[in-house]
Amino acid sequence: MDQVAKVSRSRTELQMARSMCWHCQSEVAGEYFCEQCVKVQPLSKDQDYFTCLGLPRLLTIDTNALENKFYEMSRSFHPDFYQTKTDIERTISLGNSALLNTAYRTLKDPVQRAEYLVRLEAGSVKEIRNHPPADLFEEILSLQDDLEEFRAASSQPSADLTQLQAKLQSDRETLEQRQREMESRLFDLFETWDRVQIQAQPTESIRSKKESVLKEMRELLSNRTYVRNIVNDLVATVG
Amino acid sequence: MAYSEKVVDHFNNPRNMGSFKKEEDGVGTGIVGAPECGDVMKLQIKVQNDMIVDAKFKTFGCGSAIASSSLATEWLKGKTVEEAGKIKNTEIVQELNLPPVKIHCSVLAEDAIKAALADYKKKEDGKETIK
Repeated sequence: MDQVAKVSRSRTELQMARSMCWHCQSEVAGEYFCEQCVKVQPLSKDQDYFTCLGLPRLLTIDTNALENKFYEMSRSFHPDFYQTKTDIERTISLGNSALLNTAYRTLKDPVQRAEYLVRLEAGSVKEIRNHPPADLFEEILSLQDDLEEFRAASSQPSADLTQLQAKLQSDRETLEQRQREMESRLFDLFETWDRVQIQAQPTESIRSKKESVLKEMRELLSNRTYVRNIVNDLVATVG
Repeated sequence: MAYSEKVVDHFNNPRNMGSFKKEEDGVGTGIVGAPECGDVMKLQIKVQNDMIVDAKFKTFGCGSAIASSSLATEWLKGKTVEEAGKIKNTEIVQELNLPPVKIHCSVLAEDAIKAALADYKKKEDGKETIK
């Protein structure tokens, strides 16, 4: 845990470049309120959601602590408390609240959190596009053909749909199972990522491990999206 | 956000929807996907004497993705293989008036064209080596 705290601190220091209070020009370093004039300060648009919520860039998150932090920050920035303030302060309150809400919504959900992290780290991975899952595409196209057939047949009152319906329902179950497997593999990778991420001195082997974890996560995430879409179509059409 | 009239038109009356048999002579097939939204697009061309005589698509995704591929098949017909390779996603964006959040749909269509052309060329090259 100590190691995590260390990473967290050094990252925060790094990202919180010193700047000036918009109101009294005294130095501020990431505080929400200027120490001199107590005016609210804008959260930097450049900071990522982890930094915004005071978290290290790790995937295992204590959701209770996250929620508490979110409520605490919300209380500092909520537009309701700025109704009688100046235009600038009202604008800052709105901007900060919007950023905070998006950050919280993104990090709260584990899949969105992983998608966000992969996007953040994309610059450090050489190969931007993973090779398309040709087999999965074929499977999806063939299922879509079946769905089309099902839709066409269900508009005819005399058609016997039982067989096709049973097939599609069992396909749906198989795919849902696969989606669950992908998610559980994804969550396993959370631990791997955190383990390499907290290494203080990144060696070559750690860097390549990070790359391979990111790649696998990206592949899982995109395949999961394809599977989820076809599952949704199956549910909507066949039930 | 509203779709442009042209997108709605392609969505309601998609041109050239359907497919050819993959094994058919002169047919090139491109299947691509957008990992962000999970759209899947299949685009096929039928080539005779280096000229694209027919094109078909099947797209499972949003209206913009369907419109982009529908438009792409319209543009492909009558073009030579070389000309087809020059179709740019920016032309699709312009024609369909796609907003920034939908630009990736036009990229997907361009990728599908490229994949179909590559598949066609690969099949042709394979034929030559057999001869």
